[in-house]
Amino acid sequence: MATKLNLSAPSDSDLSSLADQTASSRSINRSLRVAEKERRKNEAEDPFVLALKYFSDVEAGTPLFGNDEFEKNLVLVERLAYSKGLSPEAISIMLEFAMSLRMGNAPCVRVLKCLIPTTVVPQGAVVRAVVWLGVGKIPINTQILFIKWVLTVFDLIDAKDQLRAVYGFIFSFVTDENLCPFICHLLYLLTRKESVRVFRVRKLLELQSKLGRQPFLLHLLSLYKVFCPELVTLSIPSRMRSGFRNYNSPWKSALIAVQKRNGSQVASSTSLPFTIKDKTNPRKRKHCHLELPVLSSLVNKQAQTELSSSRKVVPLVQLHSLTQLLENMHRIELPAQMGSLLGSSLALQYLDCVQDESALLRLNFWLGYALHEEFLFCGDGGGSQTSEEALQFLDKLLSSQHFLQESFSSSEAFLYKFLSVWDGSLLRPQILSLLSNIPVVPSSQIGRLLFEPLMQLFFTSSLFFKCGLMECLSNMLLKWLTWHSVYALEDDLDISLNSHTSINMTLSGFKDSVMELVHFVGRLASVGLQLEGCHSLLLSFILDFYEAVCDTFLKYGLPLVVMPPPGVFYPALFSLDPVSVDRLAFIMYRYKVNLTSAKTQEKVTEQAFHISRQTFREFNQYLVVMVNCLWNSKMFNPGMGVQLGEELLLKSNVPQYWTSFDLIHHPAFMSYAVDFHQQCWPGRKDMDFNSIKHSKPWSWYLEYLYSQGYDGLKQFVPTP
Amino acid sequence: MERPHNSVARTPLNSVIVQRRSKSKNYRQSYRSCLGAASRFSLTPALTARRLNTSRRAPKSHNITEKVNPEHLALLLKMEWKLSYVTPLYQFRHTQLKSYSRQLSAFIAAEKQQGMAVEVEGSHSSFRVSFSVVQGMTETDDDAETVLIQIHSKPLFAGQDEPQRSVWSGWLTCINGNPDYLRSLPKDFICLPLFGSSGPEGLTALVKSWFQQNFDCCFGPLEISHTSLQWLVALWTNCHTESSIQHLKMIWTLPVVPPLQITYTVNPQDAWELWSSVRKDRQEENEGREQVEEGGSIDIEEVMRFMQGLKSHFYRHFRLDLSAGSLKQVSTALGSAKDSGRVKISNSRYMITTLTLLTECALLKMPI
Repeated sequence: MATKLNLSAPSDSDLSSLADQTASSRSINRSLRVAEKERRKNEAEDPFVLALKYFSDVEAGTPLFGNDEFEKNLVLVERLAYSKGLSPEAISIMLEFAMSLRMGNAPCVRVLKCLIPTTVVPQGAVVRAVVWLGVGKIPINTQILFIKWVLTVFDLIDAKDQLRAVYGFIFSFVTDENLCPFICHLLYLLTRKESVRVFRVRKLLELQSKLGRQPFLLHLLSLYKVFCPELVTLSIPSRMRSGFRNYNSPWKSALIAVQKRNGSQVASSTSLPFTIKDKTNPRKRKHCHLELPVLSSLVNKQAQTELSSSRKVVPLVQLHSLTQLLENMHRIELPAQMGSLLGSSLALQYLDCVQDESALLRLNFWLGYALHEEFLFCGDGGGSQTSEEALQFLDKLLSSQHFLQESFSSSEAFLYKFLSVWDGSLLRPQILSLLSNIPVVPSSQIGRLLFEPLMQLFFTSSLFFKCGLMECLSNMLLKWLTWHSVYALEDDLDISLNSHTSINMTLSGFKDSVMELVHFVGRLASVGLQLEGCHSLLLSFILDFYEAVCDTFLKYGLPLVVMPPPGVFYPALFSLDPVSVDRLAFIMYRYKVNLTSAKTQEKVTEQAFHISRQTFREFNQYLVVMVNCLWNSKMFNPGMGVQLGEELLLKSNVPQYWTSFDLIHHPAFMSYAVDFHQQCWPGRKDMDFNSIKHSKPWSWYLEYLYSQGYDGLKQFVPTP
Repeated sequence: MERPHNSVARTPLNSVIVQRRSKSKNYRQSYRSCLGAASRFSLTPALTARRLNTSRRAPKSHNITEKVNPEHLALLLKMEWKLSYVTPLYQFRHTQLKSYSRQLSAFIAAEKQQGMAVEVEGSHSSFRVSFSVVQGMTETDDDAETVLIQIHSKPLFAGQDEPQRSVWSGWLTCINGNPDYLRSLPKDFICLPLFGSSGPEGLTALVKSWFQQNFDCCFGPLEISHTSLQWLVALWTNCHTESSIQHLKMIWTLPVVPPLQITYTVNPQDAWELWSSVRKDRQEENEGREQVEEGGSIDIEEVMRFMQGLKSHFYRHFRLDLSAGSLKQVSTALGSAKDSGRVKISNSRYMITTLTLLTECALLKMPI
């Protein structure tokens, strides 16, 4: 047979060359036919194709020794395999040749070693090869080699359904002591819920009692446990948690080399998709309530067995990517312990769209329990409170909340209790961030739950706590306003009570809460500034807050305008640093824009909201004070907010006291005035600020200030 | 008969324990909020001001012996129990106890021999677990049935035919649980907030972790507070006429250096007379109602007056004011309780009263 093939190949090429010659002599439709012939000739002459043909046609029992043709063809295949890899068809042919042992065991091993796929491995070929395993002629070492090969290329097999169909057949090899470790690994990769059966569990347990605690059995059994915890249970000791050993180094490197050369990105990951909790904390904690539970599947499914069998559910443990999550969205089984979700962003993504009341409640029970035990009940005198674990736990909670953009009700409930016992310094950044995440609190409760404890903390703590709390309350307000703008925009603003749900919050209820919060911060800020001597850092955090407040109408669509109290306005106006004055000007400008637009809307639509006269009066008064004081040099004019007796002012011996807070004499801007004066009149020895007052230099001076970045002032008084 | 829940006034919040967020077009509170709508809000007084009931029914002797399996009752009375609180159990079914027995024994076997898989359905010679319902141990329809767990094992070097012995026992119960709280839970949850265990710590830990993994619940230690211990002093003393308390023994600690521990034992008759004296005016006052309201109720003021009487008596003799210290332990012939959360109930007739108080303590520990 071999000789015949050997002969036929050259004769083929002879024939075609002959035909070629005749065709060229005729020279009809030359180019077309030449191309066709050329192709056919190349194909026929391609020694690799011939080699494959040899291996597919070679007859059983062909002698191996002294068979040069076999040697030549195999070398050809090997060379191609190691350089470019083998095509799916080539893999099929070579695998079939090897496993059928047509020329004995020796070539089989050689062929297996060079089976490096270019792209994919056809599933059919693997299934056929597995069937050859059952014939029982293949030496054990070769069988092992074959399974190692399957494990290596497992991710490159184009489909797995037929392989899964012969799961039982593959399982039967598990009783072979030599094959067992490798078969277990292969089964691990193939196992689905429906493949876990009582008799298979029993078989594996029987093996376990014979072979002892072997890692490969344990890993397969632990996967069985994931799918059917009602059949088998086990606990894996930490020293055994390494997964299956890597069996595939000879091919692995060749495969990587071939893939690199081809630039293909078929990633082969034979690593275990095993989520084993890594024990990172070296010292054992007395209390472990801050440890996240391990993601594991439900055991007691009896109640819904019918349900789960009718629609196949996928345990969340089995999902490792967002794509998988999306594919299985409709049939995901929640884990046994909901607390385990907190550790995985994938699970949080699922949680965000699942609307399962019980699931959320379970998570909240666990979370609330952990927070209470750690921070409120702490039996051991609170020694562990500042621990690293607590910090990490809260950070994890915070990142989950940021991810979901919502807080958990149990952390909210915890905070209300915790605030009354908090010293204001323990884990301050974390607690304040948690606090800034809480949803809108009804105005009837906000005082008792939030303001009372916060007020105590605020007045008894350091400047930095005051600043931190201001920042937290600003964030809280921003979140509430954002929440409002998202939900209110979906709806028309006229919120009639929706009768079918009790969860609604009316617009007026929401407005009351926001107003309470703004007034509360106003009170804190007024007193805080006095206590801290109008510290500019604190003032800056306070102005942050009012930057949100002044824009509630235009930016967040909330029909509410609340002016800052005098205790905030005047310290900002008379502040020693120009940035604060500028920011105040900007805030006043935004108030103006908001109020004007509210006014026009009030005129257009009849039933628009009503802003009280008091608010306009307050605004106008502030406006007059600011303009008179900074621009018009008319400080202490009668009718302004700040009034002092004439006699008292004269007694103070301040010359031209009415100018002392204009943009030239204001302590925050004095240095700019000096600078401007020097640039304007470089020769002058004595400063005369009044010369800036003349109309020309005054407008230059304003330009000069604006050029220094004081945009707030510029927007506040637009240049005519 | 309904006893007033004066400090913990909660209204049912049936469907709104966790609020749903929906993209539907209405303006609503965030679903993860614990406050929010008016009906939900009733839960929150508990958030900051949850307290023990300030008034409770006087202990009535229960003829519990007629209702409860004597074997179970004997077990409950035999041991001193270490208490824990448990958050509601998710998908716990009283009908599945057989299967739970198998699973727990397989779990214990697997944990005991790390690295060996264990078949759940198989028989395990080392540990045999039995779950059982203690019939009749409920007071209201909202209370879930008490569950008793026993673990039997053969000693390591026991002979072939030596029987397995009980090595650990524990129970989960809910007696007179706050009906509003219980009704607020969705159907999937069973609330058995009080857990008592007796046996090796290792087994307790295994049982707890099995429950955690299977019913997504959490266990925390339940201490018996100073106030609860004072309640027990009064409740037990109140029973003296029906069933002698033999002695009233209290252990106090005073925060001095070195720490001072005081054992204060009172003659039962004296205690009873002191108790009657603080109760007296009330009984006269309630004379008319007495027939209707059998047994009457006890107020926290009476308990405090009683304790004050005991303390001032002690002060007269030893010039030591016990108010500065704290009550650590109480014992009478009816039972004993320690602040660390260990309790022994010796008389079945007053078991329900004691468990009611402890259930209340456990429910106060619930995170939500």
